[in-house]
Amino acid sequence: MSEPALTSSRCFHCGSPLAAATSFAVRVGGTEQPVCCAGCEAAANLILSQGLERFYEFRELPGEPVAGGMHNWAAFDREAALRRYTHECAGGERELSLQIEGLHCAACAWLIETSLRSEAGVRQIQVNASTARAELRFDPRATALSRLLSRIHALGFVPLPLSFVGDAAEGTAERRAALKRLGVAGLGMMQVTTYAVSLYAGFMQGIAPDLEQFLRFVSLVVATPVVLYSAQPFFISAWRSLLVRRPGMDVPVALSIGAAWLWSVVSTLRGRGAVYFDSVVMFTFFLLLGRYVEMSLRHRAGLQHDALARLLPDSTLRLSGLQAERVTPDELRAADRVRILPGERVPADGRIESGSTDVDESLLTGESAPRVRRTGDELTAGTLNLTGVIEMTVTRVGQDSTLAAVSRLLERARGSRPAVADLADHVAAYFVTGVLLLATGVALYWLHADPTRAFGTVLAVLVVTCPCALSLATPAALAAATTRLARAGVLVTRGRALERLAAADRILFDKTGTLTLGTPRLEGVVMLEPRLTAAQSLSVAAALESRSGHPLARAFAHLTPGAQLSEVRSVAGRGIEGVIEGRRYRIGRMEFVLEGCAHAGITVTDDPGHTSVVLGDAAGLLAEFHLTDVLRSDARDTIQRLAALGLAAGIASGDRTGPVAAAARQLGNVAASANLSADGKLALVRALRAEGHRVVMVGDGVNDAPVLAAADVSVAIAGGTELAKVSADLILLGEGLSPLASAVGTSRRLLRVIRQNLAWAVLYNLTAVPLAASGLVEPWMAALGMSTSSLLVVLNAMRLLDRGAGRSTAQPAPLTQVVHA
Amino acid sequence: MNVIYLLIPLGLGLLALSIWAYFWAVRSGQFDDLDSPGVQILLDDDRAPPPAAPDSRDA
Repeated sequence: MSEPALTSSRCFHCGSPLAAATSFAVRVGGTEQPVCCAGCEAAANLILSQGLERFYEFRELPGEPVAGGMHNWAAFDREAALRRYTHECAGGERELSLQIEGLHCAACAWLIETSLRSEAGVRQIQVNASTARAELRFDPRATALSRLLSRIHALGFVPLPLSFVGDAAEGTAERRAALKRLGVAGLGMMQVTTYAVSLYAGFMQGIAPDLEQFLRFVSLVVATPVVLYSAQPFFISAWRSLLVRRPGMDVPVALSIGAAWLWSVVSTLRGRGAVYFDSVVMFTFFLLLGRYVEMSLRHRAGLQHDALARLLPDSTLRLSGLQAERVTPDELRAADRVRILPGERVPADGRIESGSTDVDESLLTGESAPRVRRTGDELTAGTLNLTGVIEMTVTRVGQDSTLAAVSRLLERARGSRPAVADLADHVAAYFVTGVLLLATGVALYWLHADPTRAFGTVLAVLVVTCPCALSLATPAALAAATTRLARAGVLVTRGRALERLAAADRILFDKTGTLTLGTPRLEGVVMLEPRLTAAQSLSVAAALESRSGHPLARAFAHLTPGAQLSEVRSVAGRGIEGVIEGRRYRIGRMEFVLEGCAHAGITVTDDPGHTSVVLGDAAGLLAEFHLTDVLRSDARDTIQRLAALGLAAGIASGDRTGPVAAAARQLGNVAASANLSADGKLALVRALRAEGHRVVMVGDGVNDAPVLAAADVSVAIAGGTELAKVSADLILLGEGLSPLASAVGTSRRLLRVIRQNLAWAVLYNLTAVPLAASGLVEPWMAALGMSTSSLLVVLNAMRLLDRGAGRSTAQPAPLTQVVHA
Repeated sequence: MNVIYLLIPLGLGLLALSIWAYFWAVRSGQFDDLDSPGVQILLDDDRAPPPAAPDSRDA
């Protein structure tokens, strides 16, 4: 009996904890650094051999484990694919955009750029760290696209070519337009404020009338482009919301910007009356700033890309007659025949024509254990073929496929999310109606009393009721809170979810991949016969499992396969067999291994808390390996901190009762439900909500996506599937769960700030309206008050930004230490 | 104070110029990535990386 030595260190490349002794290492500056698997070893060696080790010093987040998974980029060299994904520029060179998965920071971008530049045939490469996009220009005569893609993959990233007709340019265009608007508003604000200060000084100390008129006129010249160009989005969106009869906050915003500007223009041209150019411009600038921050976060999360398309393989082997050729999945048509190798994803829905295999269908069922699929069985696009070579006839593609149906289901779930009363929008609806009624009332009154003053008074009412502070109250605070959280390792994709997070009182975790690391680890070896030593049995197991695509095989990935293997045969759903040094071994399920024995001696009983794999040869069972999925190191601590904040935790898992109960015990006896399908989880969340609880759901898998969409607040893990991330309001970056607790804290402070801001804004408007109506407020005082109240709201929101506490704890462990050690 | 009638139009001219320069900078993609360039200056040393040697596995 032997236990693998435990070390607490982390993988040099990907930063995942090394629970067991690893035999993989890289040599950095004269010292050996451990890495977790062959994939990470290869990536780290490639980086080091190119002299790019500084990458490890400057990156902000540890990388992701390099999946040894199969990627075959050869399909992208074909003419059809080149036409679809690239476009031709002068001199026969080609240009394309790539979305790069696993790119977190500027150091990653630098790594890819520097490494690719040394490749022959690369003319230009520009990697954008904010959007995780790369623009690549290469010469197809000097190099193959597949070579460049596999180079990026070898560095530990996954490149996804974007089809050229699609969205590659859209995000950039949106971002640039927003930047221009923001810049014009900012520059305009600086100018107009200078003039306004002179005008305010003039009110107090006296000013020559022609000079005053001149300053007002100059303000008009500068403010007009800001209103007509920068503030355009508000006018457009207000008009649209009126067309569909759902007036939102943009209506009073557009109304007051328009009215205040119009009033000021009229005053300037007439040479008397108040001007509000400074307020208008400042207001526009701050609102645009809030929207810009929101948009950057959205782009950063890379949420525009079709998440479902990423589940499909890069290429697949299409059979036509006797020939096989690599094609991209979107070239497939119904009735095509494809061959799927172990480790490849199924490219379309179809039926198996020949062969049998284990298929990982966790995508649909949420069950981590693979299913056996034989000739005649149906396969679903996006599921993973683990062990056997199969041939399949395509039955459904595109919009008819199961994936497309899942995506539609998700849209519906998202659309039906009950609209939790949103404070600001609620206020806005009343506000718009109130202001319009008031203005109409005033107009009617003055049309009777003194028609010549009617227009002026109505405008005055609209200007004084300018909801600047009111409409800035929420976005400014949200922008500050999201920035703060991004620093703490939480990406907020829908700002409004933070308001709901503050009120949450229940939090449900998925188990596999969320509370746990999601990869099985070797916990212990039980030797059943003394014919082999523990080390020998581990090396035999590693050799056999290195040929298996089964998820459990990853538990052996950190061991070096010791011996030459021949006559490998893997049996779907059962195990793998091979000959090492003349002896035939089997590893896998007990029944499978026993079948290979001449006489069955000892058997082992199944412990529900563990998953076991058995090794045996013709003479009998040799060893039993205990595998577990270990909990994240900060899971228990996070759950306790959340409990202190009033959020009761629970586990909602699709896994079996044994492992779920074990995890619940380790986490301090939290409530746990096991054996839940996606529907079951959905029912659980609905039941809790029906009892009046506000539920946060934390998950990572595709099967979690509908639940995530149905919960009050949804949180996804950065390493989770794209579909989960798209459905999530918050994404946890980095390895740990601990940022969750800080997110709850920040969201509560956010809610407090929003309430303070709204209270102030309402108070200001309530006081100003009657005072202005009764003529007690000088025009310049009104204008100054309006600007000050907006500024106050913005500054109050900024309080959310600094308070250094909590920032350092949430950041992932710096890797620089490792390098210098 | 008459100098103001000259200075303020001059200021407006500068404003127009800076907006034009800003638009040019945005259009040429200088604001597309605000994260990498700051770090890049630290990373890029003048030493050219050795030519691609994907198979040099010496560790």
